[in-house]
Amino acid sequence: MVGVFDNEFDLVEAFEKVKAKGVRIDEVYTPYPVHHILEGMGKKTRITHAAFFYGLFGALAVLGFLYFASVISWPLHFGGKPFNAFPSFIVITIVATILIVTITTLLTFSIRAKIFPGKQIKIVDPRATDDKFVLVVNSSDGAFDHSEVESLLKEHGASEVYVESV
Amino acid sequence: MYNSDVRERLIAKDKSLKQISDEIIAPIHAKMPIWWAIALLVSLGMLSFGLYCKYVTISTGIGTWGVNNTSAWGWAIINFVWWIGIGHAGTAFSIFLLVLRQKWRTSINRAAEAMTVFAVGCAGLFPLLHMGRPWMFFFVFPYPNTRGPLWVNFNSPLFWDFVAISAYLLISASFWYFGMVPDFATIRDNTKSKIKKAVYGFFAFGWTGSSKEWLRFEALSFVLGGIAAVLVVSVHSIVATDFAAGVEPGWHTTIFPPFFVVGAIFSGFAMVLTLVTLMRKLYKMEDFITDSHVDAICRILIFVSLIMGTSYLTEAFVAWYSGNEYEMFTHFKNQATGDYAMQYWGMILFNAVVPQLFWFKAVRKRLWVVFAISIIINIGMWLERFNIIVGTLTKDYLPANWATYHPTIIEIGFFIGTLGIFSTGILLFLRYVPMMAVSEIKGVSKYDKSVKEQEELNL
Repeated sequence: MVGVFDNEFDLVEAFEKVKAKGVRIDEVYTPYPVHHILEGMGKKTRITHAAFFYGLFGALAVLGFLYFASVISWPLHFGGKPFNAFPSFIVITIVATILIVTITTLLTFSIRAKIFPGKQIKIVDPRATDDKFVLVVNSSDGAFDHSEVESLLKEHGASEVYVESV
Repeated sequence: MYNSDVRERLIAKDKSLKQISDEIIAPIHAKMPIWWAIALLVSLGMLSFGLYCKYVTISTGIGTWGVNNTSAWGWAIINFVWWIGIGHAGTAFSIFLLVLRQKWRTSINRAAEAMTVFAVGCAGLFPLLHMGRPWMFFFVFPYPNTRGPLWVNFNSPLFWDFVAISAYLLISASFWYFGMVPDFATIRDNTKSKIKKAVYGFFAFGWTGSSKEWLRFEALSFVLGGIAAVLVVSVHSIVATDFAAGVEPGWHTTIFPPFFVVGAIFSGFAMVLTLVTLMRKLYKMEDFITDSHVDAICRILIFVSLIMGTSYLTEAFVAWYSGNEYEMFTHFKNQATGDYAMQYWGMILFNAVVPQLFWFKAVRKRLWVVFAISIIINIGMWLERFNIIVGTLTKDYLPANWATYHPTIIEIGFFIGTLGIFSTGILLFLRYVPMMAVSEIKGVSKYDKSVKEQEELNL
């Protein structure tokens, strides 16, 4: 069952009520992130943690490569300075690490959120990317009381409620 | 925090979410405006002239430029630094203001990021062609080669610069693109044209706006924004070390990295101002780019201009205080009173004096004056780079080596060509891509409600 709302405040209210009733919420589609919903859906993302480890290993890899190239592979004298010119390696390490983190985090996002070119999708309600807030509740459950949930959604500001197999 | 009646509205008039998406996307569905077609033709003309000059440079050599043994860097490096400086604003704008939670950035950050991508692309062309044999440019990459492998010099600021610029281009382009994905989905779901649906649908990467996507999208912007904030400082600091690490009078100073970073933000914000005043006027976006947006950028420019003035004074003071005769010669003889006096005082006037007009509200309110000053700042910043490069190189330690430097038509044409690339890019951006971050503007539009309404909604 799909409930369509006109603003985020009605959506949040209905979202809480439906959740308290114990009805399963499949997904919520919004034109912009609504933090209450993101928390309420109970999903967590570990992208930030992943990014930290990408950065850590990226930095070590870059420093390791610079050390290998300048000290082991082909040591060259530059004005009598040590081969392992650690302070001047830092600049490249910082910039290359940022690049590594950006690319790997983007790939992680693309894989985890399944956002990639050529993806085939089924759009529940095309207005969700424009101005409507769409709440999709699971009505396949046997104990699901059709009219009760419908009136609950309507009561909390849903402008439309319809049934669609998603 | 935002429940203040003092803060100006982010978007004028009470717009519904539908109005916000429709009005911003309207130029994409509208008929091609005449001015747009003319501007595109002019830009393409400039671009082609630039292509011809590049052809001459590559086929004949750097001898077609005015650079010589004494002044080995000329317009190419001046323009390189100028474009990189302009390219700084995108990151400064969207990321600094994102980190500082400045909600007014939402109307402008998309344009600023587009500007960054095109400006950095233009900048990269100059060192590439300055190599003389651009087809050998891959020698700069530290790849395992058959010459030993002999690696590049990892201690050279020029190599740092190569790493910094290419990383910056990749990062700012991906940050810009991923910010647009939800807006492409909005266009996809709102158009009746089959072609547009397919094209924007492809670029939307299958975005639906589900909570799972938004959750990860927010985490992604947090990570990218946080980590790219370092780039605002690092990229132009590294460009500055190209100069500061060279033992030349006027270059070999520790003030250079911060001085360059501030200068970059200054010219970048000025270019953003040029762009938003044009966008506001040509596309009638007064409701989204309000007076208070223009006002806010002007105020930032006053502050940065004061730092620029202080930097010029500091440079002159340190030249005198150091007691180094070469430093004093470069600053006081060659630049302030000598051959380059006009450029030097032009720089002071355009960067440190003229922007102070923004103190007056009457100036900030007149769009055409704001536009004119933003152009003047960009000319001033170009003169600054001219002073740094030509002012130092033409007259260094040994008077027997002194030389003059004049650009040839090929060098000038190369620069005009990059202006053409930039304006072509911006024109295509304005026409085919949502010029403002639609989903972000929708997200902040609720903060325009009155204090009472916000309290009721528990914002």
